[in-house]
Amino acid sequence: MLSLRGLTRRFGGLTAVDAINLDLAKGELVSIIGPNGAGKTTLFNLVTGLDRPDAGAVQFEGQGITGLSPERLAAEGIARTFQLGRVFGNLSVMDNVLIGAHTRLRAVKPAFPVIGPLLELGLALLRPASVKAEEERLREEVKAILARFGERLLPRVDQPAYSLSYANRRRVEIARALALKPRLLLLDEPTAGMNPTETAEMQALVAELKAEGLTILLIEHKLEMVMRLSDRVIVMDEGKKIAEGLGEQVRSDPKVIEAYLGHGLSGTAEQESAA
Amino acid sequence: MSSWLDYTINGLIVGNVYALVAVGLALIFGVSRLINFAQGSIYLVGAYIGWVAVVQLHTPLPLTIIVVAAAAALVGLIIERFGLRPLQNSVRIAPLLATIGISFVLDQLVMLTFSPNPRALPSQLPDVRFQVGGGTIGPLDLLIAGVGITSALLLFVFLRYSKLGWAVRAASQDRDAAMQMGVDVNRVNQAVFGIAAALGGVSGMLVGMYYNQIDTAMSLQATLKGVVAEVVGGAGNVPGAVVGSLLLGLVESYGVAVFGTSYRNLFAFLLLVVVLVLRPNGLFASARQAPPEPLTGTFIAPSRPVRIPRWALAVAAAIFAILPLFPVSFYVLQTLINAWLLGMLALSLTLVAGTIGQVSLGHAALLAIGAYTSALLSLTFAVPVGLAIIGGGLMSAALGTTLISPSFRLRGHYVSIATLAIGEIVSLVILNWESVTRGPIGISGIPPLSLFGYDLISPTSIYWFSLSVMVVLALLQGRLLTSHLGRSFRAIRDDDIAARAYGLSLNRYKSLAFIFGGFAAGISGGIAAHLYSYINHETFNTQQSILALTVVILGGLGNVVGAILGSVALVGLPEMFRIAAEYRILIYGIVLLLLVRFRPQGLLGTI
Amino acid sequence: MTNASPEALLALSNVNTFYGQAQVHFDLSISVARGHIVCLLGGNASGKSTTMKIILGLVKPRSGEVTFDGASLVGLTTPQIVRRGIASVPEARRLFAEMSVRENILMGAFVRNDREAIAQDLDRMLTLFPKLGQRLSQRAGSLSGGEQQMVAMARALMSRPRMIVMDEPTMGLSPLYVDRVLELIRTINQEGVSVFMVEQNASLALEIAHEAYVLQTGKIVLSGPARALKDDPRVRDAYLGGSEAA
Repeated sequence: MLSLRGLTRRFGGLTAVDAINLDLAKGELVSIIGPNGAGKTTLFNLVTGLDRPDAGAVQFEGQGITGLSPERLAAEGIARTFQLGRVFGNLSVMDNVLIGAHTRLRAVKPAFPVIGPLLELGLALLRPASVKAEEERLREEVKAILARFGERLLPRVDQPAYSLSYANRRRVEIARALALKPRLLLLDEPTAGMNPTETAEMQALVAELKAEGLTILLIEHKLEMVMRLSDRVIVMDEGKKIAEGLGEQVRSDPKVIEAYLGHGLSGTAEQESAA
Repeated sequence: MSSWLDYTINGLIVGNVYALVAVGLALIFGVSRLINFAQGSIYLVGAYIGWVAVVQLHTPLPLTIIVVAAAAALVGLIIERFGLRPLQNSVRIAPLLATIGISFVLDQLVMLTFSPNPRALPSQLPDVRFQVGGGTIGPLDLLIAGVGITSALLLFVFLRYSKLGWAVRAASQDRDAAMQMGVDVNRVNQAVFGIAAALGGVSGMLVGMYYNQIDTAMSLQATLKGVVAEVVGGAGNVPGAVVGSLLLGLVESYGVAVFGTSYRNLFAFLLLVVVLVLRPNGLFASARQAPPEPLTGTFIAPSRPVRIPRWALAVAAAIFAILPLFPVSFYVLQTLINAWLLGMLALSLTLVAGTIGQVSLGHAALLAIGAYTSALLSLTFAVPVGLAIIGGGLMSAALGTTLISPSFRLRGHYVSIATLAIGEIVSLVILNWESVTRGPIGISGIPPLSLFGYDLISPTSIYWFSLSVMVVLALLQGRLLTSHLGRSFRAIRDDDIAARAYGLSLNRYKSLAFIFGGFAAGISGGIAAHLYSYINHETFNTQQSILALTVVILGGLGNVVGAILGSVALVGLPEMFRIAAEYRILIYGIVLLLLVRFRPQGLLGTI
Repeated sequence: MTNASPEALLALSNVNTFYGQAQVHFDLSISVARGHIVCLLGGNASGKSTTMKIILGLVKPRSGEVTFDGASLVGLTTPQIVRRGIASVPEARRLFAEMSVRENILMGAFVRNDREAIAQDLDRMLTLFPKLGQRLSQRAGSLSGGEQQMVAMARALMSRPRMIVMDEPTMGLSPLYVDRVLELIRTINQEGVSVFMVEQNASLALEIAHEAYVLQTGKIVLSGPARALKDDPRVRDAYLGGSEAA
């Protein structure tokens, strides 16, 4: 479904993403792990069009999408969340999530230059019954999405996003991504800043999404969660892919232990084997 | 051939003058990421202090330069300490607005002290010309070149070898890291504002001597030229600012050589727009990098808007509607008509600056386009006035949006620079395109307002007409805000990266905002043209743009009711207290400063 | 939970921090004993970096007390705090990219005025970080990540601090440099400088630390001697393991 070939991005002297190859099949959940600064988020930016690669190619559903704009990729069904959270602070929770459904709005669809936007303006001002009905339907849909987070967001549906806690902002982002009805979902550390209970909830939600058949690329540090959810795990360090495989395989790969879990652990392992 | 050398020398000399302004802007931008719109005002102050020194105190030239530099530096320090330091922890839009307010206050203070009439500033140098190759050069040229080169050397030595200079460089590369080395950023800011102001002040004095004339219009021109030079060189890049200035001087000089003097500024602003579009980080920048992730929209303060019930708005509208039925004076009606016209402009600006976050400083250009279109349609093509005004609105929407579209890919302060420049370009085109706009003569004899064949001449009918047009525009805008477009505009304002990741095309939605806003502003300009019966290229000037911005901030960014309330307050209150016209702009500047400091979300709050 | 002991050089007690309406720290208490290496562990967005910013005065706590050598730091500006003897190695190094390596290192001595001694200290840095000798006139931005980390550490030492605070000193470094950085932190500490470091890489940090704290969503969930925590399965569960720790 998604395939990256030799994807490379350099910043000055630093190669943030170094000739990465990656294939993701429909319905698969692949996790990318690696220490902070390994280039995981840059890789997400390259896939979602927020940054352009210096070399390499990205294919989505058999089509080359290298260097396409993020707006185009959103319309193609690629949704993402951001590591530090990019909610629209002054918008209510409802409006934040409705933005996720933006590419599905009928008023947005006509792509003719000049006339398309003018029609959109006209529809927004006149608001015929069909537009009203669509808006109503989407609002109901948003509530259904918010309901997946239990009582975390529903009671706050009209509050501005800037008033939310970190964990709730993170949830709003995921809700927004789901409102796009994505074909591919990229989650950048969905549990950052969450306590164990919240993390467990998030893990359950991601598992649910996977069970529903959604294709997911996940960046995550919480290894337990990664091991439980992932079909495959990719380990990045210094921009390179240093290992790939099933969870347990990767976990016992000495290179991975060295780079990601820290050589302290490998030291302990040696001591243990010596003892 | 010889004249080309002259033009080159002239270009380099003028470039030197720009460099003195631009280097200061670059230093300030480096340390504070702020484009100091008050830089031109310091330049103006420098010129007038020079005048006082030369004409009244008869100081010798070296002393004049020292006096001007010291006095201007003092002004810079005061601006930094009292105007900007209190805003250190506020949203990024705040210091930008503050420098605009400061610039208005300073310009008006100079105007009130010295009167708006131009004054002569003699150069104190012998009037001789030396032959150089095929061209000539005078002592003043040499002085300007000497001051430019000396300042550059002094600045180089300061930055490279003094401790404070190191602190300035470190702070401009990484402010937080510099603080962690023990650098006191407040002292760095003081140093930078002091230096920038000294250079700017001396520059103003030299220009005054160069043309042997100073007047208060110098201020805005200097800010614009300095900003152009700085942006061309790459914002915050000090050597880049010098190169950008020389380049700007040459481009202007050659442009004048080919097309004539009235085209000088046009070339400067076109250069700016071209650089902003092609290389927004300046000619020498290479890095392209996504900006760091914000936690939430940080350019505009979060706030909870004041909700006013519909019935209260309906009652207020009804009261204003029946007002003329009571015995109110002509004067009150006239004032309120002005408020309604300003209200339409404010509606337009609150949409683009508040709702979608493009802080436009050239909004008066949209008025001008609407006014000229409506005037010419009714005069030349005998189109009925009502239709002509709508034509003005449509033209302003279409042409205004097209002209402003190069700024759509920019953010933050750059948008303000670009719109300011585009506003100036419109005014310059009107001035120079004589076959259509009648150039500097302006258009007179514009037919009065009329509707369906009935002339609207009585103040009451004009009042009702303008009030109802404004109310209709306000209702439409309110409807727009509650649609998916309102949501999309606000999302783009809060975080354009996340917005793009969810399929919102910045070009498309910024265009739509400017189309809607341009229409409202064009209608306002059109009505104004028929009310005034005479317009020229200066009728709709930057002061009106800034007044509209003050109204919008006062009411609350993006707030429709706030824009109208702000218009009534800023037009009405000075009239009520019978404040003389020359003090009004001073008051607008002060209001803007106080708002930014104490109530950045405005009276009714950001929506 | 360890309370501020009398010999604590740095102590945070009951610190509550907010960004806007979101609370980042909940009654945070941490103490660093004189001469010790103390490590703060935690995942991304757990509030680690904000703890550093609180110590350095870059962020003000809403309530609580921060003391250094017995005197309160609350209300002091960052430069004032640096002058008290705290140096920092910020996250992602934060070198002055356009300045030379030499200028970067000397910026570390910004708070000092003893020219002679500064020159001596620069030489000392070059013995401690021999690789930097050939790089002195290079632009700092052109160095590799590992070399930049060396510059950042040299820069911090130049103020002759009593304490260094480090934000993820091993982030983005190759294993070779991770070892090197680790050793250097030990060396610095043995010369009498106390160290407070924020790390994501738990096992590594626990190798060299005396005490450690585990931070999770703004609360200390675990603390104690590093030796004890190293074998404590709860450490990994707390911030790597996720769901099971509950």
